[in-house]
Amino acid sequence: MGRRSLQAVAAGVMLLAMRVSAHHSFAAEFDVQKPITLTGAVTRVDWTNPHAHFYLDVKDLSGALVNWNFELTGPNGLLRRGWTRTSLNLGDIVTVDGYLAKDGSHYVNAVTVKLSDGRKVFAGSSSGSTPP
Amino acid sequence: MQTFARFSVVLLAGALGVALIEPRASAQWLTYPTPGMPRTADGKPNFAAPAPRSSDGKLDLSGIWTSVRPDIPRDDNPVGPNLKDYMPAGATIPMQPWAEELFKERSGRLGAGRPSERCLPHSIPDAMLVGSLKFVQTPGLTILLYEEFNHFRQIFTDGRPLPPPLQPAWFGYSIGKWEGETFVVDSRGFNDQSWLDDWGHPHTDTLHTVERFRRSDFGHMEMEVTIDDPKAYTRPWSATVRFNLLADTEMIENICENEQDNAHTQPK
Repeated sequence: MGRRSLQAVAAGVMLLAMRVSAHHSFAAEFDVQKPITLTGAVTRVDWTNPHAHFYLDVKDLSGALVNWNFELTGPNGLLRRGWTRTSLNLGDIVTVDGYLAKDGSHYVNAVTVKLSDGRKVFAGSSSGSTPP
Repeated sequence: MQTFARFSVVLLAGALGVALIEPRASAQWLTYPTPGMPRTADGKPNFAAPAPRSSDGKLDLSGIWTSVRPDIPRDDNPVGPNLKDYMPAGATIPMQPWAEELFKERSGRLGAGRPSERCLPHSIPDAMLVGSLKFVQTPGLTILLYEEFNHFRQIFTDGRPLPPPLQPAWFGYSIGKWEGETFVVDSRGFNDQSWLDDWGHPHTDTLHTVERFRRSDFGHMEMEVTIDDPKAYTRPWSATVRFNLLADTEMIENICENEQDNAHTQPK
């Protein structure tokens, strides 16, 4: 591993310990007792602050497509975790591990995302939980 | 000619004991080598090097810093920083009865409704506990740039007094001076809209804070913040926050532009 890569990894490791996003309280919005895993096709990506969002069309039990909204940390946190603006593309099939919103909507705080290239990336949102 | 010039630079750098970094090989600001960073022989940042000094001999606090999360038993901390976690074990925050009620209500709803949800400032001292912040120390003025929401704060060190409270401000008004090796920042003129921390310890517009910064070496700094607000607290109280320097990286713009969470926060 070259020096540049090592520096990037070192910076990344240091930053993983940093409280990245305190925009809002995770606990006020999401239920840590309700983990969920969903797979679907990307329909929209908002690469914005304070949180990036992406949307998936997910098949429900009847086979109908339901659109879900996933919250990530902001671009600052994502870039430091190896994401780029083009990590998610329309139509990509991705799998998300996260926590359900308390208000019963199709809204999830994403913790990890398995991208279409097979890489699993940490979404670094406001849960504060450290990545594996 | 160019090769000779470069060779001379390498020799000179070697003589000065400075590891030569090739900036043009790393174009990414996210991993750009910090200029002036002392390094060990293998090129890594040397966080234990002596703290730098400005031309007037004072310690220089410049750099990108991030606070160290306290050792709390449950790592989740899904609400955010609580100043009590930065105080000695068993210490209590001495709230007036109304403040205690308000704090119970805010923490009872797990921090829902906090100003930052609406992209408003974390303010002092909460803004010191979130993300990264850059100190830029110049003669007469120390500037704090907060990555969270791209906010800034000015600490005037040119000898001016604090102004009368014409326009209460989210970050208040700050003046600073050196007491030996400690940078002491005095702030007043806060509005009453922010929370002292993410759990909701309250304050009023008579809040007066004193922050004492001490940089122990190149990579480490400590801040003791004293909260003095008799309308909200029965006596002044203090918390201690440690900071680590972030090397070989840069802050990124963070404009709070797409607020979606307000609609989803639940009190329970």
